[in-house]
Amino acid sequence: MKLYLYGIIDSSNHVNEPIYGLEGSCVYNIPYCDIGVVVSDFTGLVRMETKDNVLAHEQVIERVMERFIVLPFRFHTVFDSRDDVLSLVQSYYKDFKDNLDRLRNKVEFGIKVIWPSDKIKEQIINTCKKSNKKVLVSGDSSNKRFIRKKFEKYVINEEFQKKANKYINVMDMFFSKFAAEKKLKKLKTEDMLLDAVYLVEKNNQSAFREAFEHIKTIHAGFKFLFSGPWPAYNFVILQKKNDLLKDSKKEDLFDKVIRQRDLVGADKI
Amino acid sequence: MYNVVTQSKDVTLLEILDRVLEKGVVISGDAVISVADVDLIYLGLRVLLSSVETMEQLRGTPITGTMQQAR
Repeated sequence: MKLYLYGIIDSSNHVNEPIYGLEGSCVYNIPYCDIGVVVSDFTGLVRMETKDNVLAHEQVIERVMERFIVLPFRFHTVFDSRDDVLSLVQSYYKDFKDNLDRLRNKVEFGIKVIWPSDKIKEQIINTCKKSNKKVLVSGDSSNKRFIRKKFEKYVINEEFQKKANKYINVMDMFFSKFAAEKKLKKLKTEDMLLDAVYLVEKNNQSAFREAFEHIKTIHAGFKFLFSGPWPAYNFVILQKKNDLLKDSKKEDLFDKVIRQRDLVGADKI
Repeated sequence: MYNVVTQSKDVTLLEILDRVLEKGVVISGDAVISVADVDLIYLGLRVLLSSVETMEQLRGTPITGTMQQAR
């Protein structure tokens, strides 16, 4: 029987209340020192990629989150046996402990902001026309027309970015007051002005929501999506994994140098 | 059963997918494979489901139709 992994928790105790996960299996804790891995037995015989399974995964994590700090695993993390799970926890123990300490009493909130990019561009174009920014390349030959168009596009884009930064700075200033950590993505698409996640102390949840409501009120014409509180999906940092990735890159480079040297037949490169 | 949990907040399925499929503790990749004996690990997904991020990258525009405005 395989094991389906939901999350790492800050306890080696049993999960007392009955929680049912994927395939309707009972969820339990595999303890390792003072932490544990929340799992359920898993045959893997049913189709995994369904809405119900995704929701079941999230539901288990949220139920566990009511009593413990949780480092959620990504959907469909399956191990072959209990021993395999234990060797993973042993290998990442320090990382897991550090994350559990860092994320204690904190939850994640997501904020997405859609702005009317067409209107914003239109405004920029009108302003540029008024300020005559476009007439830097005079003449009417096809080459000059081409250069002028390119330049106008560049100016519009620059202004577009500036406006985006201005809006994001104002919004982030309000949200950051109540957040311990944050991750912001600016203009993932032209319409999506901001896609942000904030890690917020549980005590600051109400203040954070209020800040959001305020920002929403003063930005008429923008669309907002607020979600949370979530387990801290976006704030789990596995240092060991990063180190390993760096090491593997170094090795790659080293291997390349060696290969190059062998090919060239030189002792030193 | 899970509706109690998921309906209690202003959230869409896409928001859940964004996190559950892409974020959290991800034990994958070559470096980890060599350390944690990764034939033990099976990360299957990404066949039928796609996260908001991936879909948007493919479409080039956000899926505004599914967005909810917070109350």
